[in-house]
Amino acid sequence: MRESLGGMGLLAPTVLILLGLVLYPFCYAIWLAFSDKAVGSAGQWVGLRNFAYVIAWPQFSAAVFNTVVFTFSAVALKFVLGMSVALVLNQRIRGRNFFRAFLLLPWVMPAFVVYLVWRWLYDPLSGLINYALMDLGIIGSPIAFLSDRSTAMPSVIVAHVWRNFPLYAISFLAGMQTISQELYDSAQVDGASRVQQFRYITLPGLYHIIGVILLLTTIQTANAFEPVYLLTGGGPSDATMVYTMLVYVMGMVNLRLGEAAAVSTLFLPLLVGLVLVVTVLLQRKANA
Amino acid sequence: MARPAIRRTRREFLKRSATFAAGASAVLSLPAPAVAQRPKLVYWCYQFLKESDEARANFAREWATKNNVDLQLTMVPWKEFMPKITAAIEAKATPDIVESGGVELRGRGQLLEVTDVYKKLEKTYGGWIGSAPKIMLEPDGRVHHILYGFSGPQLIARNDLLAQVGLKPPPATWVDLLAYAKKAQQPPKTFGLGQPVSNQTDSQIWEEIMKSYGARLADDTGKRVIFGDYKPQVWEFLDFFTEVWKAGVLPPGVTTWDNTMNNSTYQAGKAVFVLNAITISLWLETNNPDLLAKTGHYNFPRGPKRLNQPVTYGSRSIMKYTKMPDLAKQFLWDSMEPGKMDRESAVSQWGPVLNAYLNFDVWKKKPFMKGLIEMSLHGETQGYPDVFNDAWREQFVNTTISRMLQRLVVDSWTRDKAFAEAVDILTKIYAKYA
Repeated sequence: MRESLGGMGLLAPTVLILLGLVLYPFCYAIWLAFSDKAVGSAGQWVGLRNFAYVIAWPQFSAAVFNTVVFTFSAVALKFVLGMSVALVLNQRIRGRNFFRAFLLLPWVMPAFVVYLVWRWLYDPLSGLINYALMDLGIIGSPIAFLSDRSTAMPSVIVAHVWRNFPLYAISFLAGMQTISQELYDSAQVDGASRVQQFRYITLPGLYHIIGVILLLTTIQTANAFEPVYLLTGGGPSDATMVYTMLVYVMGMVNLRLGEAAAVSTLFLPLLVGLVLVVTVLLQRKANA
Repeated sequence: MARPAIRRTRREFLKRSATFAAGASAVLSLPAPAVAQRPKLVYWCYQFLKESDEARANFAREWATKNNVDLQLTMVPWKEFMPKITAAIEAKATPDIVESGGVELRGRGQLLEVTDVYKKLEKTYGGWIGSAPKIMLEPDGRVHHILYGFSGPQLIARNDLLAQVGLKPPPATWVDLLAYAKKAQQPPKTFGLGQPVSNQTDSQIWEEIMKSYGARLADDTGKRVIFGDYKPQVWEFLDFFTEVWKAGVLPPGVTTWDNTMNNSTYQAGKAVFVLNAITISLWLETNNPDLLAKTGHYNFPRGPKRLNQPVTYGSRSIMKYTKMPDLAKQFLWDSMEPGKMDRESAVSQWGPVLNAYLNFDVWKKKPFMKGLIEMSLHGETQGYPDVFNDAWREQFVNTTISRMLQRLVVDSWTRDKAFAEAVDILTKIYAKYA
């Protein structure tokens, strides 16, 4: 009895911190979604009014669609690129240590700087990409990458992937170095090809790392705000309007915190669903 | 050899202790009253144009030194003001004086009433000019923010490029402007009109242009949306906009331009016309005087129904939570002194708001400043003929009209569909404030 009381006493500070820093803000955000809280006002209970309002808002459906497209595309690209780079840097190549350090550069640069540089690269009047393409004779007139509905979202995804794939690469590389070389040697003796070695040794050896990385970065990608805010502002029209941008507009531009919280709350099941799908798929694979 | 122990009586110990304590408190308390009595003010200064911002910030620092005030000054970029003040209000840690968001914060009951300062300034400096009273005075006669300058977009034009093709500015109407832009541009070197059609507020100049075609959003009470009744006027405007788009006078990328891109495009010599405040010209004055010499500043062209020249403003207000209301009001009063305003006007984008400011030399010295007088005296409040209220502001920051235009050119929607969506959005926004 005395021992369990002591244990509870030791746990109490952590529990209190979790309650204060996680549960309270979470519950407060839910309450906000059911109130007409605006900046400076106390807010009154309005039931489901905010939810009805934001669901009927024209940009909401675009935000749902764009968030899903952005999240799945960006995570898939970061995974493929990160894995490819990790495989290359896991080989004995000249300057390997330099490249490993160099790889982190996009990830350590401030997001603000990265996306403003990409904005300039994409610029149709003075951007490097258009300049190079026109100079090489590939295009006759500049392309407004960020301002055309067909190219805006892919351009935002490319910039986001460039900044964030190093996390994948470094994590996978760290995982690869824990896999015993003996396994590869034996496979080679048995005549396994490179692809077979990757499929039956490398990939299973990385399942846990892949699981953690995909789980964390799916949440992080779905909540990404800077790339859209700094590159397109959600435009052109609503072509890149993701839910975080919509929350920003409703909360910080319109100053209507209740509506902004309602958007966040409506996206909560979607995010939880995404996380569950990723977790279940990986769990199945790990248990297979 | 051991030192002999010094033995003191209890009386001696107490006496020494008391003497030491008295001495220490006397020494330590000497600067204390000065620190304690020095009042503190937190001032959030609007950051937009370097020289102008520095002039206002320097005055604030000098004022603080002169009045023995502990002034904590923070420069807040224009774009960050609302998120920052929102967080400050929610955290109950607001500054005392702010330079932005007068109307938004007033509408949310966050500002201290400053009607007394308004009336004193009016009486002392010959009265307010132009739309200033309309912007500051509320229906019940109270005032919560004090204007210090008018600004607003003008038609800024490359006179040299227009002269090369035999055109004499300014174009009288929007249709003339399009004709001028088409003739003078040489894409991709120069484009006719550097104007965003994006989700940023500078794009809402299209709302002003639309209104010069006779349309309006809501009725005279500012509560009921009547935009749907103006279909013919909106159609005529959309015809004009479609022509602008098809003519290729807008540079590529305008549908995602932010509020700086029209400035930078003109400053880089890549636009024949832009609709912008004279911040462009102030920048050119320092950084590219040659281009400034080739630049003309004009009123907006007319639409078929009227000339819509909007005027924006800079203002100061006091947050209602201040512990130093009288001192903050004193600052508001002192910061409007004509001598100080004369010095600031020379490096600012702000036009006069009081009659006493009309005599400043700067309006005569710099040709591009002349337009500020015209704008200050005759410019209409933003949104005119609509009422400048919270509902109008929300649709403005949501760039409702620019989004309608983007639906046409980005999403290839029909006019009916884009117009119906705009009516729906306006109705939803205005209904919240009815």
